[in-house]
Amino acid sequence: MFISDKITGTALVALGAAATYGGSLLPPVPGQQVGPNVFPMVVGVGLMLCGAMIAFGIGSVLEQEAEADLAAHSDKVEPATKPSPLVNAAKTLLPPALLLAYVFVGDRLGFVPTAFAIVLAISLAMGARLKLALPLALIAPVLVHLIFLKLLRVPLPPGLLPMPW
Amino acid sequence: MLATLLEAFRLVLAPDVLLAILLASIYGLVVGSLPGLSATMATALLVPVTFYLSPIAAVATIIAASAMAIFSGDIPGCLLRIPGTPASAAYTDEAYAMTRKGEPELALGICVWFSAIGGIIGTLSLIALAPPLAEMALNFSTFEYFWLAFLGLMCATMVARANPVKAIASMLLGLLVSCIGIENPAGTPRFTFGSTDLLGGIEVIPALVGVFALAEVMRNMTEPEPPKMPRRKFGSILKGMWKLTREYPWPQVRGNIVGIIIGVLPGAGADMAAWVSYSMSKRFSRTPEKFGTGHPEGLIEAGASNNASLASGWVPSLLFGIPGDTITAIAIGVLYMKGLNPGPSLFTDRASSMYALYIIFIIANIIMIPLGIVMIRMASKLLSAPRASIMPVIVLLCGVGSFATGNNLFLIVTVAAFGVIGFVMERNGYPVAAMVLGIVMGTMVEQNFITSLIKSDGSIWPFFSRPVAAILAFFTIAALLWPVAYWLWGTMRRTKVVAQRG
Repeated sequence: MFISDKITGTALVALGAAATYGGSLLPPVPGQQVGPNVFPMVVGVGLMLCGAMIAFGIGSVLEQEAEADLAAHSDKVEPATKPSPLVNAAKTLLPPALLLAYVFVGDRLGFVPTAFAIVLAISLAMGARLKLALPLALIAPVLVHLIFLKLLRVPLPPGLLPMPW
Repeated sequence: MLATLLEAFRLVLAPDVLLAILLASIYGLVVGSLPGLSATMATALLVPVTFYLSPIAAVATIIAASAMAIFSGDIPGCLLRIPGTPASAAYTDEAYAMTRKGEPELALGICVWFSAIGGIIGTLSLIALAPPLAEMALNFSTFEYFWLAFLGLMCATMVARANPVKAIASMLLGLLVSCIGIENPAGTPRFTFGSTDLLGGIEVIPALVGVFALAEVMRNMTEPEPPKMPRRKFGSILKGMWKLTREYPWPQVRGNIVGIIIGVLPGAGADMAAWVSYSMSKRFSRTPEKFGTGHPEGLIEAGASNNASLASGWVPSLLFGIPGDTITAIAIGVLYMKGLNPGPSLFTDRASSMYALYIIFIIANIIMIPLGIVMIRMASKLLSAPRASIMPVIVLLCGVGSFATGNNLFLIVTVAAFGVIGFVMERNGYPVAAMVLGIVMGTMVEQNFITSLIKSDGSIWPFFSRPVAAILAFFTIAALLWPVAYWLWGTMRRTKVVAQRG
């Protein structure tokens, strides 16, 4: 997900402008010169300035130097075959997507079944064989449930599969 | 004094505290040694556990886990040339060169021995520096606190080995995130877009877990598995350490001092300490040409430095509630939760707790040596665990752990959102640590800024007229302007080179 500095810089300018505008709409405190509107406006203006500088490429030389420095000091494993960018994007977005899915169905399905699905999906997506992924998906959620519900008293949803403890 | 010290020992020697130290140490060693899982992440995932511990045990887990993780990040660096935590990246090359020369024991021995010494000296600096600074801090008003917090934010942007403009932009993004909610001087809902979940603002811990842990898992999803570590038998790890300690006194002193100074600076942490110390060691060495070929000097200096910075990072955290690095940013949250609110009065009202904290630091750094040696011997077994079995569990812990900090499903949404934000930022060279510190300190900066402005009737003169405020203002503005100066200098140098070539 490399995005050019021009685009991220412009996006920051837009965000800064929105923050400044949004801040200016906030109601002032009666009888005070400064209120909740000042800080977002200051931050917004700062973001606009930084965004503009990034879009114009100021400081990017330093970044290249730092990257070269880091590359000289440690190894990066290069993939043997390059998968398609679409598959890569899907894999990358899998963990946050699964967490969001937990938010929506966790209460109904219960912690252990949902966690089973999460662990199984990520493990398989990372290239684990079923022989490893399945036992992991069966054991890990139960252990996490035991620790968090019993020892840390976190109210995890029982759902369809309540645990005996 | 003696009574307080005895009380402190009584607090630390309680069975639950000792057990917490031991378990947290093992946890920190394991997590730190896994490439990609940083010390910050190890600490963040511990937070829900600290809810159910006594205040001292809670702080002890954080201290022990973070110290161990910073050391054990050196292990995969030595053996695989892949740093376990970013704080080890500076000298990974050097350590690996030693392993290639057939001296992995020496490299790992240096890492554990000098890490422990650095940690202890860092603790001594914390003991020595905190009380006099606390005395001074009692006279601070909102003007000084504003500059101090602002200075912390600027230091956070200097840490990054990245484009300083992008670092400042990240920090401002963090400040903007901290604006969300009703926790502002007038209690007006800001940027909540009518959502009740956003009224309370963005919680720091889930955001932190998102950018440090979930984003890391996302990165790992597409990256190939790191190479397996060759099984090897290690000889004596500590052999020759005493000789090296006597042979290189100056690198150690310098490393510890640099580490302490960088740690005390609000916002700058262990990674920066290691980079600065390594390059300093090279510059002052009598044999700079040996660097990079498996020479112990730089390793000693940088290895001591990053652990020293860890302890002294607690100075601004305990005194002002301004995090010294991302790890203490988490620790501050835990301190508030446990009723140990940071501030100068902590050192007078809760002196025994502070002494207990020092003792825990020292214990953690002492047991680092035996536990570290066990860890080194077990490392090749542990590191051969496939990533596909670790990452799913981390995702699970990210979700459940964040949920546990407030029993609210919106916290899991926060983790997911910040995971994506963190991933995109990191890929494009925006340092996430600066954003996290922005989120943590935003409310404090704003409160002190607005209160000061109200006190001064809108005039900015008092921000500069008080002596301490003026000094802090000078440093802050210097930190703000240095990227511009550096850029101008770099441009001038380059045009000169081009002119000479032309």
